Amino acid sequence: MNLVTPVKTVCVIDDDKIHVYGLKKLISIKKLSPNLIDFPNGKEAIDFLAAPENSAKLPDIIFLDINMPVMDGWDFMEHYVKIKPQMGKKIIVYMVSSSINDEDILRAKAIADISDYIIKPVSPEKLIELFALAA
Amino acid sequence: MPDNKNIVLAERSISTDSFADHYLANEQLLNLIESTNTGLWERNIITNEAWWSPKFCELLGYEYGELKRSYDFFIDWLVHPDDRELVYNAFKNHLKGRSVYKVEFRILTKNKGYCWFESSGKAWPDENGNLSKMIGAVTDIDLKKRYELELRKKEFLLTETNKIANIGGWELDTLTMELSWSREVFELSGLPLSTRLNLETAIRLFEPAYREVILAAVNQAIEHCVPFDLELQLCTLYGKVIWIRTKGIPIIDDKGRCIIIRGIFQDINENKAKELNLLRSLDLLSDQNKRLQNFAHIVSHNLRSHSGNLQFMVNIFDEDISADDRKEIFGNIRSISESLSNTIDHLNEIVKIQTEINKELKPVNFAVTLKNTQNALDNNIVATKAIICADFSLCPTINYVPAYLESIFLNLLTNSLKYRHPRRAPKIICETYMDDGHPYLTFQDNGLGIDLNKYGDKVFGMYKTFHKNANSKGIGLFITRNQVESLGGSIKVESTVNVGTKFTIKLV
Repeated sequence: MNLVTPVKTVCVIDDDKIHVYGLKKLISIKKLSPNLIDFPNGKEAIDFLAAPENSAKLPDIIFLDINMPVMDGWDFMEHYVKIKPQMGKKIIVYMVSSSINDEDILRAKAIADISDYIIKPVSPEKLIELFALAA
Repeated sequence: MPDNKNIVLAERSISTDSFADHYLANEQLLNLIESTNTGLWERNIITNEAWWSPKFCELLGYEYGELKRSYDFFIDWLVHPDDRELVYNAFKNHLKGRSVYKVEFRILTKNKGYCWFESSGKAWPDENGNLSKMIGAVTDIDLKKRYELELRKKEFLLTETNKIANIGGWELDTLTMELSWSREVFELSGLPLSTRLNLETAIRLFEPAYREVILAAVNQAIEHCVPFDLELQLCTLYGKVIWIRTKGIPIIDDKGRCIIIRGIFQDINENKAKELNLLRSLDLLSDQNKRLQNFAHIVSHNLRSHSGNLQFMVNIFDEDISADDRKEIFGNIRSISESLSNTIDHLNEIVKIQTEINKELKPVNFAVTLKNTQNALDNNIVATKAIICADFSLCPTINYVPAYLESIFLNLLTNSLKYRHPRRAPKIICETYMDDGHPYLTFQDNGLGIDLNKYGDKVFGMYKTFHKNANSKGIGLFITRNQVESLGGSIKVESTVNVGTKFTIKLV
């Protein structure tokens, strides 16, 4: 059933521990990626991505939540666009949120660096599809 | 109107006509008088025998001699029934020497129905000194009288209309700066009719806030011929402040200059009061509507995040997983269930605030409430070495829901302690004051602060947290805002990162 080439590294930015756990578990069950890193807010993720010593560990896919303390998903994208040129790696960003607010959906669609907006929870089928697109 | 045919007309018999002989003998004089369209008459006061001159007859549409030569006939058949008393009284008063005989009344003409005439005359004494005859003249004033009546009717209509609509007129001569008002404007402003008017007196009638507005509008009209239509507040001489509407239209001469401003002045107080009330209700309603929508959004969002997680866990449970995983997932489901129950408790609390709006207000003492809050948080205050300064002298008590005030203090104080700056002991300043009749409470700390440029509108939102703090729940300020707003108040925040935060609450 799972014919997708594994993605090397996946990054989850979300303060919801249960969601992080669920994504991790699903990715490992479906053998979608061997490496998963996670951050409880945008600030810590940006700090990691911007640090030159982490250039070898940069993820291929980012799952980004919207509502988080310290730095939310929108702020993260603003910073992300700035550090993107120096990272030198093509990263796919999926915005993942429980918000079904049109305002949020349209705002995400307007940001070129966000590949898709996914409403929580992510189903196993959807997850496989997202990894297939990234591979 | 009596039927003309029924009037018995006198036989034409000149030979026995002593009056006629008398006048017709002075034919030249008679012609002269009658050429001015004036008809003559003479009446014997004792016998009521009468003579009507040729012109008199002509004015009424009759041939000379066609009219019965009797004053009684004249009064009973030719004078309009409504005017008989008037004519009779004028005659009576004249005979008593009280007044000149001059009456305007309606006479039945042969072909044109009743027409207006003016009759004047004088009683003359006979050789014994008794008033025996009266001589007079009539002129046709029908057209004039009808215009006059029409005008009076229109004036009445206009005055009545103005009175009903509470409208008065005004006119400003822009060359002499002379101002004139109609009676209604005087009545509206309470100024006596004898007041000498100029622009300044008129402008001083307005409430100070509106004087500039009306002056600017008048100047615009004079200089640039711009009409105006304003709603302003005016203080009447009786000290009552009312809303009026004034419109001004510049009248422009052929050189394009404004020479006169003409306008109306209307009492719109009642409507304005209704309008303002309506606006207030609308504000209140849209406010409540906004809160309701916001609440619906909060409910859906917060329940969604839990239901999403639950579904997520169930989905994974269905996968081919180990017993350990199942145990772990069940642990997560338990924690989701707890969060869900917490969220529902929080939402219930908000619903309670909304439905408790009519809760009884009681006088609450700020100092006592703060003391209770400090006691409740005593452990935290001691542990953080917090200093709390309070000054409620400007407004020591307030009519409020006691539980709300306690909750407001508890939430703000808890926040100040929780988000204290790591490098200094918390210092909290708490004060009350009155502004424009409203009591205010301020609550200031020297803590971490919030970046309002980033989070401004979210500070009071539900489950909005801004600090990396394990015990941040994002519910305290949301409840505080709901409590404050449910009692008609408002809350705002000022903050600088690393300096501190100040909340200002308008309580009612």
